[in-house]
Amino acid sequence: MPTSLQVTFLLTLIVSSKPIECGIVRNNNSSSWKKLAKESTTIDVGESSTMTKSRSHVVADDKKKSFVSATTRGGYKRGLAIFDFLLRLAAIVTTITASSVMYTAEETLPFFTQFLQFQAGYDDFATFQFFVIAIAIVASYLVLSLPFSIVTIVRPLSTLPRLILLISDTVVVTLTTSATAATTAIVYLAHNGNPNANWLPICQQFGDFCQATSSAVVAASIGIVFFILLIIISAIALKRH
Amino acid sequence: MKNESTIIDVPAESSSAMKGKAPLIGVAKDHTTSGSGGYKRGLSIFDFLLRLAAIVAASVAAGTMFTSDETLPFFTQFLQFQAGYDDIPTFQFFVIAMSIVSGYLVLSLPISVVTIVRPLATAPRLLLLVLDTAALAFNMAAASSAAAISYLAHNGNQNTNWLPICQQFGDFCLKSSGAVVSSFVAVVFFTILVVLSGVALKRH
Repeated sequence: MPTSLQVTFLLTLIVSSKPIECGIVRNNNSSSWKKLAKESTTIDVGESSTMTKSRSHVVADDKKKSFVSATTRGGYKRGLAIFDFLLRLAAIVTTITASSVMYTAEETLPFFTQFLQFQAGYDDFATFQFFVIAIAIVASYLVLSLPFSIVTIVRPLSTLPRLILLISDTVVVTLTTSATAATTAIVYLAHNGNPNANWLPICQQFGDFCQATSSAVVAASIGIVFFILLIIISAIALKRH
Repeated sequence: MKNESTIIDVPAESSSAMKGKAPLIGVAKDHTTSGSGGYKRGLSIFDFLLRLAAIVAASVAAGTMFTSDETLPFFTQFLQFQAGYDDIPTFQFFVIAMSIVSGYLVLSLPISVVTIVRPLATAPRLLLLVLDTAALAFNMAAASSAAAISYLAHNGNQNTNWLPICQQFGDFCLKSSGAVVSSFVAVVFFTILVVLSGVALKRH
């Protein structure tokens, strides 16, 4: 009610263009009432000081909320990074096992003829040579990628290390799968042979050699599973929120 | 509750400059969203085209291996010399695996279209990345095991007395080797697809 009274009082004063008392215009910086016909309105700013205080409190809460959400996002990504690190350690063990078992898979048969002794080793097969070298490269890559994994643990929200790990993990899983699959084909031939091509199975003579090579293939396959898990973890951690 | 009153001057003759200032408040655009959506949409289109190329590569590999039969013109009283993909279990695995990979690629085309239409959604891209990784591993396994057998067919192994068969079955060898090469091309496409999905998932 006092608001509307004030407004009408001022408007009537201005419309009648009578000189105005100084008391009303003390907030008005312009003094040239005669030149400009200005309209003044009075607006009630009806806030109490307590409401102003609570509004600033809400602003601080928003800041706190964004900080908390950042740490929780960082929290689960940090958990993923730790799992990634542990998987890498497991994959190192697996691939070193596979490579060394294949490397030491030799067998010499106890009988021999006048001309030659029956031996079997990994270097008798080009595919097994490829297997040993490729899995050794993969194992050394894994050791070199451990620092990148530690960086993703320390800085869970940065995406560049994860992207590097994803790309190089994809290349390495391709190499591992290639070596493992080729060796599996040869091991299958060694176990079963191929009557159409007149390729005889050799496992019946070289039993230990066959067992060692088969174990190496199985270990490398477990390594492939670890690699696929690593790629999926990197992809999930890269996802925006 | 205490009222605070202020007096605000509203000049009756508002200048045109003051009139012009008011509408500009709400114009500020969020350029970041449209910018990152733009380049991600480009990545999605490239992804779609790569998928089409990979479909061609994978189906050519499967088809060539499937039709790689050869019958030699001479025969003995007892048997005729034939060679086909089903004589070697690894080549059977190759044909089946490449067919599965081609079918997966055809089925993943709609998801790729979804990533083109909605470039900022991350769930389709994550799904594509996971499935592409599995398909990449599967494709690589088939390609490299067939490559090992092709190497044996070309060169043989003297230590195990496995004789090379390519000298008799020339056409069969050529076709099966061509199929293996085509499936390795599909592997390269898959690798690029996985890397693309990873880059597009990256936040900005």
